[in-house]
Amino acid sequence: MIRIEPPMIVANEPARRPSVLHIFKVYYPDLFGGTLTVIRDICASLKDTFNAAVLVCSRSGGERQIVVNDVAVERVHSFGDVLSLPAAPTYPWRLWRRIAEHDLLALHAPFPLADLVFAFGLGRSRPLVVHWHADIVSHAALRFLVEPMMRRTLRRAAAIIVSDPVLIETTPLLQEFSDKCHAVPFGVDVAKYDRPAAQADDVNARGRLVLACGRLVPYKGFDVLVRAAHARNFEVWIVGEGRERDNLEQLIRDYGLQDRVRLLGSVSESERVKLMRIADVFVMPSVTNAETFGLVQLEAMAASRPIVNTALDTGVPHVARDGLEAITVPPGDAAALADAIETLINDPERRRRMGQAARHRATAKYSTTAFKEGVETVYRKVVAEQAATKDASSSAPGLHPQMAGPVGAIRIAAALAWSDMRHRYVRSLLGPFWMSIQMAIMVAVLGSVIGHLSNSGAMARLPMLAASLTAWTFLNSVVLDATTALQGSASLIKDRALPPVIFLLQCTFRQALFAAHNAVVPLLLWLALTPRDFAGAMVALPGLVLFVACTMALSLVLGALATRYRDIKPVIESSLTLAFLASPIIWTSEMVDRGSTVMRLNPLTHLFAIWRDPLATGHVAMGSLVYVLACLAALAVAATITIAHLRKAAFWI
Amino acid sequence: MVSIHLRDVCLDYPLYGAYDFSLKRRLLGRLFRQASEMRTIRAVDNISIEAKAGVRIGLAGPNGSGKSTLLRLIAGVFPATSGQVEITGNIVPLLGLGAGVNLDFVAADNINLLLRISGRKPTQAILDDIWAFTELEERMQRLPLRMFSSGMLMRVLFATATAFPADILLLDEWLSVVDENFSAKAEQRLRKMVESAAIVVIASHDQGLLRRTCNSIINLDHGRIASSVALDPPVPHHLELREISA
Repeated sequence: MIRIEPPMIVANEPARRPSVLHIFKVYYPDLFGGTLTVIRDICASLKDTFNAAVLVCSRSGGERQIVVNDVAVERVHSFGDVLSLPAAPTYPWRLWRRIAEHDLLALHAPFPLADLVFAFGLGRSRPLVVHWHADIVSHAALRFLVEPMMRRTLRRAAAIIVSDPVLIETTPLLQEFSDKCHAVPFGVDVAKYDRPAAQADDVNARGRLVLACGRLVPYKGFDVLVRAAHARNFEVWIVGEGRERDNLEQLIRDYGLQDRVRLLGSVSESERVKLMRIADVFVMPSVTNAETFGLVQLEAMAASRPIVNTALDTGVPHVARDGLEAITVPPGDAAALADAIETLINDPERRRRMGQAARHRATAKYSTTAFKEGVETVYRKVVAEQAATKDASSSAPGLHPQMAGPVGAIRIAAALAWSDMRHRYVRSLLGPFWMSIQMAIMVAVLGSVIGHLSNSGAMARLPMLAASLTAWTFLNSVVLDATTALQGSASLIKDRALPPVIFLLQCTFRQALFAAHNAVVPLLLWLALTPRDFAGAMVALPGLVLFVACTMALSLVLGALATRYRDIKPVIESSLTLAFLASPIIWTSEMVDRGSTVMRLNPLTHLFAIWRDPLATGHVAMGSLVYVLACLAALAVAATITIAHLRKAAFWI
Repeated sequence: MVSIHLRDVCLDYPLYGAYDFSLKRRLLGRLFRQASEMRTIRAVDNISIEAKAGVRIGLAGPNGSGKSTLLRLIAGVFPATSGQVEITGNIVPLLGLGAGVNLDFVAADNINLLLRISGRKPTQAILDDIWAFTELEERMQRLPLRMFSSGMLMRVLFATATAFPADILLLDEWLSVVDENFSAKAEQRLRKMVESAAIVVIASHDQGLLRRTCNSIINLDHGRIASSVALDPPVPHHLELREISA
């Protein structure tokens, strides 16, 4: 197994900050909202200890890589939302590509598109922390599809961060993994909501302004708030934008509340802070458990506002508690909501008391420092655990980068062969295909000569001639290379302790790459000059595989022999020349007497026949196939013995 | 667990070329009843070494006493003629730096190839780290190694060879990089590599170096263990550094 470890860090080089990839569906500037505030705050507050990056989807197009608040944000194109999910088909792929670049993954759930990646077991090499923002409440009918994936993600996660301990008890999925859940409440920067000194009294005796904030989506329950305003005398301002806007406007018109209920749309953050300061009551009318915490009510608490919230099974009624900082009403109950608002509107003293209590709780219990430290502790722990397991596994035997057995040897041989091919390009005048040009010239010259020798059409013969020459060049070069390969790599064998078989394999791989260049010539000729019989070409493929296998085995045996006994090399060289002339390579068996004994016994005749016959006639000669298989079996035995003896190759060179 | 276990290991080095091993000779030799035994040299003679994690072995001895051969035997280059050899751990043999280098290739490609040869998948981050260590200009990454001076070449090779920690580190002589400014840095990195490796075997003529670095010294003579000395725990690191800078 090949393992990648970071290079050794030398003492005087500063340690690198670990990097975190935040995974979510959307980010600034495409949307504003509670979850995004949380991600932004994590990135900003941990910037001294962790390098943050964000991978999200975006509908707006535009730049793929942007920087938001000093954080690199990569945006994957999405074609719009389907079932509250961005339709970004390339997101899982992009996420998978990015995983290796980071030390820690922070998934902001729910986000089934990312679960897809983790459910398939990808990205196991990096630790995962799940920030559990909410359960999937809408589209409950499709839950059976998504839940198994979410469970797999949570099982794989090293830690799960929730905003309130009650979520661990009330969310069935989290109960299964309660041992790795950490409750880290969100924080709010109270100082941002300090009121200017000039504004002395913040509780207005005549006050009747009710504020609510949030995306205009069904679970926020703003329709309940609009209905609650009916037949009462308080004013309602709703900050936020979303797809429910049309419905809400219709509702406001239906109740005739245009003068008292206003939809303010999106406002800037500073504007929102100002609105929080002038409001008299802050309302969070959310109706489903999708509202897990209500970061915006925490902001209102920081601005000393009394809260009206709903009795959900989530952190909402725990952040602002009934009777202390808030009045909690049943979700979806417009009359109870209206009563609670009116109680506060009519009692300035209670508003003041609750507001002070709220501000106190926000300062004491929900500080940004506590949030930062909570998240940082979890991140650090997870990164440290990962580093520890990595250390433990790297000292275990069997996971060494080298000594990876046959696979490792083949990999190294392939890398060396690839480098050899690149070497052919370096400093070449004609570019990569000088080899192909050489082959084309050879085919042209030999083709014209042979055309005169035989009476049949020279043109029709050209594709087969080119293919035969390419194959012969391959076999000839592999064997010749093998005879000198071990001596040429003496230093790698003796100083780097690489197994010698690598360098014999390298010959076959290298010449296969060169043959691929040469093969352009027969391929073009075949396409141009023949009826293009693809079925015959398919039948020829197994024959070609046998041809390559025989060549490889032959090169192993002869390469080792030629290194051990130095007089073998000239013998091989002259034999190859003889074989070239004595085998039907540039001439074909039709040109000579078919009955020739040398022809029939020559293994090369059959080695070429098993793939040339299917190309020419569409079927393979059984006699040749049996002969070749017998040769291959003999060569395989010889190659196995050779590999066993190659341990001693270091003595020979 | 990382360990080296050699028991009664012998290595007969065949002397090809010095004698006539040809077919003719063998057949005639048999006919004329000449002695037909293989001509060999016993390069490693009946050596037993047990090393567990934390051991640093210094191999001392005159030229031809079998130091390098023993290192190569541990590295797996030479098979033992007889005896038991069991080695667990990832071996990094730093026996020569120049192996596998292609002078026509640009530096970055050479580094990538050398990393692949040692079984690592090269990445940009690793390459950047290695290059940072060489202290050469960024653009020189794109120059063929042929253009490099021997000192610069040495920097690149040293940085690449020592980029990754080893379980078992084999050193044939302390690698020296002949460059006034760089050698101190190289020395420090090598020292760190020696410290982080579980087992280190160094062959050297420099007794002082062996005493500073190792906790046991084996003196070899004609392939045999002439004597072995267990040293006190090595001197604390800061003292070593002072000694070097002095």
